[in-house]
Amino acid sequence: MTVVHRGGDPEVAAGVAAAVPPTVRPRTRSWWRRSTTRRYLFGYTLLAPAVLYVVLLVGAPFLFSLYLALSDASVADPVANFVGLENFRAALESETFILALENSIVFTVVAAIFKGLLGTALAFLLLQNFPGKKIIRGLVVIPFTLPIAISVLNWKWMYDSQFSAINWVLSRAGIIGMYGSPSWPIWLGQPELALWAVIAVNVWRTYPFSAIVLLAGFTAVPTEVLDAAKVDGCNFLQRFHHVIVPMIAPILLIGFLFDTVFTLSDLSVVYLLTQGGPANATKILPVLAYQVGIQAGALGRGAAIALFLFPPLFLLMILLLRNLKRREY
Amino acid sequence: MMDRSASHDRPGVSRRDFLKTTGVGVAGGSLATMLEARQAPAQPRGTTLRILQWSHFIPAYDTWFDTKFTKEWGDKLGVKVRVDHIPHLELPARMAAEFAAGAGHDIIMNGSSILTRLYYKSLADISDIFDSTGKKHGGWIPTAKPLVEVEGRQFGVPMFYILLPMLYRKDLFDANNLKAPDTWELARVAARTLKPKGHPTGIQFSQCADANLNWRSLLFSFGGGETDPSGENILIDSKETRETLRFAKALFDEGMTPEVFSWDDASDNRFLASGVGCWIHDAISAYRTTEDTNPDVFKNTFIAMEPAGPGGKRVSTAAANVYMIWKFSKNQQAAKEFLVHFLDNFKEGMIQSRGYNMPYLLGDAQKPMPIIGADPKMQILQDFPKIVAFYGHPGPFTTPVQEVVNLFVLPDMFTRVARNQPIEDVMKWGMGEYRRIFAKYKRA
Repeated sequence: MTVVHRGGDPEVAAGVAAAVPPTVRPRTRSWWRRSTTRRYLFGYTLLAPAVLYVVLLVGAPFLFSLYLALSDASVADPVANFVGLENFRAALESETFILALENSIVFTVVAAIFKGLLGTALAFLLLQNFPGKKIIRGLVVIPFTLPIAISVLNWKWMYDSQFSAINWVLSRAGIIGMYGSPSWPIWLGQPELALWAVIAVNVWRTYPFSAIVLLAGFTAVPTEVLDAAKVDGCNFLQRFHHVIVPMIAPILLIGFLFDTVFTLSDLSVVYLLTQGGPANATKILPVLAYQVGIQAGALGRGAAIALFLFPPLFLLMILLLRNLKRREY
Repeated sequence: MMDRSASHDRPGVSRRDFLKTTGVGVAGGSLATMLEARQAPAQPRGTTLRILQWSHFIPAYDTWFDTKFTKEWGDKLGVKVRVDHIPHLELPARMAAEFAAGAGHDIIMNGSSILTRLYYKSLADISDIFDSTGKKHGGWIPTAKPLVEVEGRQFGVPMFYILLPMLYRKDLFDANNLKAPDTWELARVAARTLKPKGHPTGIQFSQCADANLNWRSLLFSFGGGETDPSGENILIDSKETRETLRFAKALFDEGMTPEVFSWDDASDNRFLASGVGCWIHDAISAYRTTEDTNPDVFKNTFIAMEPAGPGGKRVSTAAANVYMIWKFSKNQQAAKEFLVHFLDNFKEGMIQSRGYNMPYLLGDAQKPMPIIGADPKMQILQDFPKIVAFYGHPGPFTTPVQEVVNLFVLPDMFTRVARNQPIEDVMKWGMGEYRRIFAKYKRA
C-alpha cells in the first residue's frame, strides 16, 4: 500500500511512508470472525438454554394443548379429529362451566386482594428490627414450602364438620354454639362459606410468597429517599403511596402476574378439600378441566376448559409488561 | 447320484414328517406339562410382572398381597412381581399417562372408575380367562360382565366389589322401639325419631365417591334407573327419580344436619365411630373403624340388608374393581396366569381384606363366605351378590356415565333438592347435564 501525502514535504512524506511498513494492511476478516458477530454469538449462546427450555417445556406443551382443545382427543385414542371451536361451544353451554368460570374469577380476585394486604403487612413487619428476625423470616415461608397435600389435609381437619379445631375454639369462646346447633358453621358444606374457606387456604399458603417479593422490593428503596420524604412531612401512608409503590412498581407488577397465574391454576387446594362441591359451589376451572379431561377421559374438552382463561390472561400480561417497559424509560 | 425317488419309496419317516411329528409332540407335551404344573411357559420365566393398583383400605391386605401372595406366585414361576400402589382417585390419570407413553405396568387396576370402554382398543382381549374362570367357579354374577365387555369381548376381569350396606345402632333403635332399617321408610322414621335425641343420620350430599354410590342405591331401590340396558338412553327423567328426590329431601330435613354437605368418604366413618350417628349407609370400613376406635359403639353397631324401596325393590350400588392387561405389555402370558391365580384364590384375598372384598364369582359367593360368613353381624352381607348393581344400572357403565359420575351430577341433584330448589328445576338441570354429556359422546 502506498501512502500519498498530498501537497506536503516530500521528505516528511517519505519518512511517514518509511514509518508505515508496506506489508501492513487492514484485515478483511470473515463475518463470523468480526467482534460484533462474536459478541452476538456469545449472547445467543448464553440465551440458548433458556430459550430452549421455554420452547420445549412451555411452548410445545402450550401448542399441544391448543391442538387438543381444537380436537376431539380422548385419553384413550391416539387419533384425534379437528373439531374447530366445538369444545369451547360445548363448555359455554354447560351451567357447571359458567359457575366454575365465575368461581375462578372470584377466587383469583379475592385471594389477590387478601394476599396483597397480608403480604404487605407481613413484609413491613419483617422489615423491622427485632430479636430472632432471621428465624421468623425463615418460619413465615413454611406454608409456602410445605408439601401441598399435607398442608391441605391439615386444613381439611380444621374444617371438619364434627371435629373442627376452628369451631372448637369459637365454641369455647362463646362465639358459636355447640356441635349440632344451627350456629355451628359447616365450613366446607355451606356454599356461602365453602368458597371463602378454600380461598382462605390458598391465601394462607401463598401470602408468604407475596410478602417475600414485597420485602425484596422494600429493601431496595434507598433510605435517603424515605428520609427525605419524612423531612418533607410525609406520613407513613403518603410515603408508601407516593414513594415506595412507584419505586417498587416493577416488582409489584411481576409479583402480581405470578400470583394471578398461580392462583388461577391452583388445582390442589380445591380438589383436595371439596372436589368442587358442595353442588359445584367451589368448582373452579382447573378442577373442572381435570375431571372432564383426565378422569372422564375427554381430553379435548378438558383442554378447552383449561385454556379458556388464556386470552384474558395473555392480554393482562401484555398490558403489565408494556407498563413495565414504559417505566424503564 | 442318489435316486431321490428311491428314497421316497423307503419305508420310514421323511425329514418333514419327522419335524412335524416331533414338533407337535414337543408342543403338546409342553402344554400338558405346563397345564399340569400350572406354570406359565418358559417365556415369562426370568421376566418382571408389573402391577399397578390402589392402596387398599385395609393396609394389611396390601402387605399380604405385596410380600406374600405375589411373591409366592412369582417364586414358583420364576417371575419377579413388582406391585405399585397409588390412591384410587389417581388411577385414571396414571392410566392416561401409561397409555400416552405406551409403557408402564402390565396389569392395571381400576377402582370405582371403570375405564374398560374408554381404553378397550389398548387393552388385551382376555375373554379366554374370563370364560374359563367363570366356568371353573360357577359363573359370574349378572352385573359383572358389562363392566368389562365391549363388542362381545372381555377386556378385563372383575376382581372384587365393595358393598355399602346399612350400618345402624341397634341399642338406639331398641331403646326407642324402632324396627331395624329394612326399608328406606323405616330408616327415615328412625332418623326422624333419633335426630331430636342427638343421634341424627347422614349420607353425603357432597362431591365424593360415596355420594355417587349411596344416592344411586336409593334411586335404584325406588325403581329408578340411570340408562337402559343398551346404555344409550337416559332413564333419569322419571317419576321414580322425582319420588326419590322428594324422599331424600324429607330424610335430610327430618333426620340430618347440614354437615352432610361437607362430608367426604371418611366423614361418615367418623360420624358413626363418634357415637353420634344412628345409622349410616357405608362400606364396612366404617364398621372396622368403629371396631378399632370405639368398642362400645361397635358392640351395638349392626349391619342390615340394603333397605327396600316403596315397591319392595332392593338394589345395592357397589364400588366395582376390575383388573386389566395393557396390550403393550410384553408379559401378557404371565399377566394372564397371575389374574387366573388371583381369581382362583379369591377367598384368601377376602380373608386378608377382612371381608371387604366381595366376590363376582358365584362359586365364591356361596355361603358361608370367609370372614363374613363366620361373623353373626356380617352374615347378612352374603345376601348382597343377588342385588348388587353398578353405575349406569340397569345399563352398563359406559363412558358418558363415567363423566356423569366424575362430575357428580346425580349427587348434585340431591344436594340441590336438599337446599330447597324445586324438584322440577333440579330435574331440568340434571337432565340438561345428562343430555349434554351423552350428546357429546354421540356426536363424537
